[in-house]
Formats: sequence, C-alpha cells, structure tokens
Amino acid sequence: MEGSPSASRGPGGGPAEDGEGRARRDGGGRKPSLLARAEARTAWLLLAPTFLVLAIIAFYPFSRVVTSSFTDARFATTTQEPRFIGLANYRRLLSLTVRELPPLLDESGEQVVRNGQPQYESWVRVLPREPLRYRAVFEFSLLGKRYVLGAVTSQFVRAIWDTSVFTVIAVALETVLGMIIALALNTEFRGRGMMRAAMLVPWAVITTVSARIWEWMLQPTRAGLFNAVGSRLGFTDGQTDFFGSPALQLPSMIAMDVWKTTPFMALLLLAGLSTIPSELYEAAEVDGASRIRQFVSITLPLLSPTLAVALIFRTLDSLRVFDIFQVVLGNRRFSMASYTQDLLINQRDMGASSAASVVIFVIIAVFAVLYIRMLGERRLE
Amino acid sequence: MNRGASRVVGRVLFYLLIAVIFVYLMFPFYWAIVSALKTQAELIRTPATLWPDDPVLTNFRAVLSSVTFRRALLNSTIVASAVTVLSLIVGSFAGYALGKMRFRGKTPSLYVILAMTMFPQIAVLAGLYAVIRVLGTPAIPSMILSYLLFTLPFTVWVLTSFFRGLPDSLLQAAQVDGATLFQAFRLVLLPLTAPAMVTTGLLAFIQAWNEYLFALTFTVIDPPARTVPVAIALFTGTVRRQEPFGEIMAAAVIVTIPLVVLVLVFQQRIVAGLTAGAVKG
Repeated sequence: MEGSPSASRGPGGGPAEDGEGRARRDGGGRKPSLLARAEARTAWLLLAPTFLVLAIIAFYPFSRVVTSSFTDARFATTTQEPRFIGLANYRRLLSLTVRELPPLLDESGEQVVRNGQPQYESWVRVLPREPLRYRAVFEFSLLGKRYVLGAVTSQFVRAIWDTSVFTVIAVALETVLGMIIALALNTEFRGRGMMRAAMLVPWAVITTVSARIWEWMLQPTRAGLFNAVGSRLGFTDGQTDFFGSPALQLPSMIAMDVWKTTPFMALLLLAGLSTIPSELYEAAEVDGASRIRQFVSITLPLLSPTLAVALIFRTLDSLRVFDIFQVVLGNRRFSMASYTQDLLINQRDMGASSAASVVIFVIIAVFAVLYIRMLGERRLE
Repeated sequence: MNRGASRVVGRVLFYLLIAVIFVYLMFPFYWAIVSALKTQAELIRTPATLWPDDPVLTNFRAVLSSVTFRRALLNSTIVASAVTVLSLIVGSFAGYALGKMRFRGKTPSLYVILAMTMFPQIAVLAGLYAVIRVLGTPAIPSMILSYLLFTLPFTVWVLTSFFRGLPDSLLQAAQVDGATLFQAFRLVLLPLTAPAMVTTGLLAFIQAWNEYLFALTFTVIDPPARTVPVAIALFTGTVRRQEPFGEIMAAAVIVTIPLVVLVLVFQQRIVAGLTAGAVKG
C-alpha cells in the first residue's frame, strides 16, 4: 500500500522465540503430551481466521494474478474465455533493446548541427518494428556516440525507471532531512513538545489530500504559491508548469513525498537516538571530541541498525508509490503501480496488467527479503 | 568572540533551524486553510496573498452541503471503523496464539505474517477484483474485507510482541484457578493489552482512512460508495469551469482536522507504535 504511509511497519526485533524448540524439549523426545496437543489445537484455531482472511484476499487473488499473466484476459468481461499465451505479456512488457543512432548527414556528408547540437537520426528509423514495434524510452550519449533505449511497452519500462529514480532520490532526501530534524529534536529546548506534535501533521494528512494541496501550491500560474514566490524572487517567469514539463514532473513528486514522509523517518531516527546512552557523549566531551567527530564515531554507528531498517522500509514504500502519481499526473507520467492500475482499469488489459503486477511483486520481494533477513538476524542476537 | 557570545549565536542559529523545520512541516496545511478561506476572486488573483483580505466560509459551506462529500465522509467512517474492529478481533486471536502458545509451525507462521506486512497491494488488485465479482459483494464490504490485507498482518505482528511481553505467571495463575485458555485470554490478557490495542487500532484506522488504490478501483462502477480519498481526488465542486481549488482545500481541511486532533491526542501511543520495530533489538 503505497500511500498509506509508513504505518504498516512491523516492529522489529519481532516476536520470535522458537516455539517448536521449546515444545520439543518439553516432550523430551516422547510423544507430545495431551496438554501440549490441546494447546497446539487451540493455537491453530486462533490462527485460523487470520489465515482464512489472508487466503481470500491475498494468496488466492495473487495466484489468480499469476495465472492470468499468462493469458490474454480482458478486464471485467465475461463474454470471451481468456486464452493461454505463454510469456507473451512479459515479453511485451520487458523487451528492451539499445541501438546506436547514426549521425544525421546533409548532402555533403557532414553531420547536421542545429543550435550548436549535432543531430542524429530519429529513433523511428532505427528501432525494430517487426514482429513487435519498439518505441524510445530515452536517448543517451556514451563515448561520443548516441544511443537510444527502445522498449515495446516504453511506458512500463519508463515507469520502472522513473519509480527507481523517484525512490533513490526521495529516500535519500528523507534520510538526510529526517536526520537533521531528529538531531535537532534530540536536544532539550523549549517548545520541543510542540515540535514533536508538528511532526505528526504531514504524516496524518491523507496522501491524496496532500497531493491536491501540493497540486494547488504548484499551479502553473502566479495564483500558485511557488510561481508567485518564484517570480517575485526572479527565478521563474510565474508560468512554470511543474506537472506538464517532463523535467519537473519527478522533482515535484519527490517534493510531495519528502514532505509527507520525512517526519516518519525523523520519528524513527529520534527513537533510535534516544537509546544511545548520554554517558558516551559526556565521555567524548571530556576527551575533547568535536561535535562532528561525536556524530561520526558515536551517533552513526549506534544508529545504523535503526537507519538500515528505516531505509529499507521507506524503499519498499516508495517502490509502491501510487497515490500522488495517479492523482497529480494521471496518465502524463506513470509510477510502476499507477501504470499497472491504468492498464487494468482504463486499457482493460488484464493479462498485461497481471504480468506487470508480478514484475512489481518480484522487484519488491527482493527488498522485502533483505528486510526480513535484517529483522531475523537481530532476533538471533 | 568570547565563549558566552558564541553560545548565544549558537542558540539563535538553533532556534532558527527549529523555526525553519516548523514552517516546512506546517506550511502546506496552513496554505490549505488560507486558500479555503479565500473567495474565488482572491484565489485566482495574482500574485497569491499570504492571508485572505476578507476571510469567507463559502467554500466550507459549499463542501459541507455537498451530498457526495458527506456521503464520502460517512463511507470512510464506516469502512475505517469496521476494518479497525475486524483487525483487532482477528488479530488479537492470532497474536495471542503466536505470542503465548507453543506449537509446531509457529516460526513459519510468523515469517508469513511479517512478509505479508510488505505485500504490495497492486500485486493482488486484478485478482481481488475477480474474487469480489465472484462473491458479488458491494463496494463497501469489499473495501472492508480487502483493507485487512494491510491492517491485519501489521496488527498481528504488533500484538504478538505485546502478548509475548506479558508474564507467563499471570496465565498460569488463571489456569490454576481453573480458567480455560479462552477465558485466560479474555479475562486476563485482553485487559492488559488495551494500550497495545489502542495503538494498533489507531494505526489501522489511519491506514484504512488513507487508502486510495483499492477504493478508487472498487468504486469505479459504484460512485456512491466512494471514500474520502477518492472523493477528494476526483472532486469537481459546484463550479464547473475550472478546478475549484477553494472548495478542494476546504474539503482537505475538513477531512484532515479530525485526524490531526486524533493524532495529537494519542501522540505518544502513535509514536510508540510507529517506532516499536526500528529500535528494539
């Protein structure tokens, strides 16, 4: 659940001692006692509703998604029986190619230069059209040559790329800002209680609501706050279209996400900071260590477990981002999740949407395994 | 500069930093309030003004008199409350079993629950829609059921560690007195876990109140069932010509204030719940 920020975090350190081990020891190798068996039965009875619910809303639907990713199923139609088409959906979504763009030559055989920029052939002439038609995701230069990255479903590949860029930059900014806020709030000062309360405000605002507030602040006229202030200070013409211009779309999304989730990051880091014994700093003070030295030698190492959990957790959350992209950018620019939802609801291509879901699932699973490993390791300590 | 003076400068810089952080955190919400209080004319006047010349409540009145919006508030309240209650009931059973009982398969169950806290909603969207069509449930019960996907694993996980932290001796004392496991659960442990229930319940409520992806998808064919996040995202307002940002901001303020109050009242509990995992070893 993208959007639904933050709250879904599992407490680390988690509940885990080995129940089985203890049960075995109690049984002493003999058959488990009647009492132990009765306890096991009750335990499973208590767990049954949870697993039943999860079966209905998670395991079964996910198996349906996996199955339909190999078919040409359409969304919300019952007229036509879906056909099995193997990996065709995946091939369509993930086919990539890199081609060199030859220089555009004039009659004399010289490369055409316009506005000081050397010109190249259009990707339309370079990318394959048969059997599947490729479109450009983006062009790039390497070692003096010009290349184009082509994909059959360029929007999906682009969405994966954009979501990754969004995640890396947003999480990095949130971490730095969150750290600054946490360090500032970890000292005694008047008004600390009020600051801690203020931190919960962005977190409490519904994601779609914050998206619309930011949409209003970033209006492409001087009625919008950013354009009004920007033109006063002289670095925009007051007409900057934050959501229309491709160069500003991702930064706008990142700004929204950073505002909404930095407080969460700061809260986690603040909780981590409060567990560091103050004697360490006092000792460092006596030894004459500077503030920066104290931060590097005491704070960072002791905070790193908290930081690692927070980082992975935020990464998982950002990779799922849906709300802000869907509300503000619609079909102008997609995140992985918003493209998948668009495929399903607007293009009614259930097969392809299912395949996209599986791809997202795999990407997130990699990070989830990392996260579980980390929590699991800590439990063993 | 002597020591005293540099300390004063440091103090001033520190409070400046605090002020900047405060403004950063609060400004967008402040801007929503200010914009909601402006007339349509002032709203589109350039450049934007920091405080309305003549604050009016027109936008708030328009939003509150909108049937669609009131309906959305009601829907959201029903959905979020039902999800919270269901998660707590089902989740406390599972949390008790995982936290206090011994049986084979406990560790794998815990891993499944932990993995489910990270399950991407988008991965089940199409399949869930199919399930709902088969079951034939209307949009609101469908949302209630499917929101358990993200509230339930989290609730189970948190409650498991709370149950586990309670001393075994209490339970044994109850059993010596002749209580069954269910009675011990209901009469002894449940009252003790009330604070944990409040924390997880609040977090579940907020998550459900916030949810957009499922709500948007499931109400495509049933607009009256729209919840607040969907209503705000699709808000068209009473004036058709342009995006009615004054009314949208009024709606934003109306739906945010109860949540902010809730969060501030239960501040300590929420922070404890959010940070429970990251720090405890």
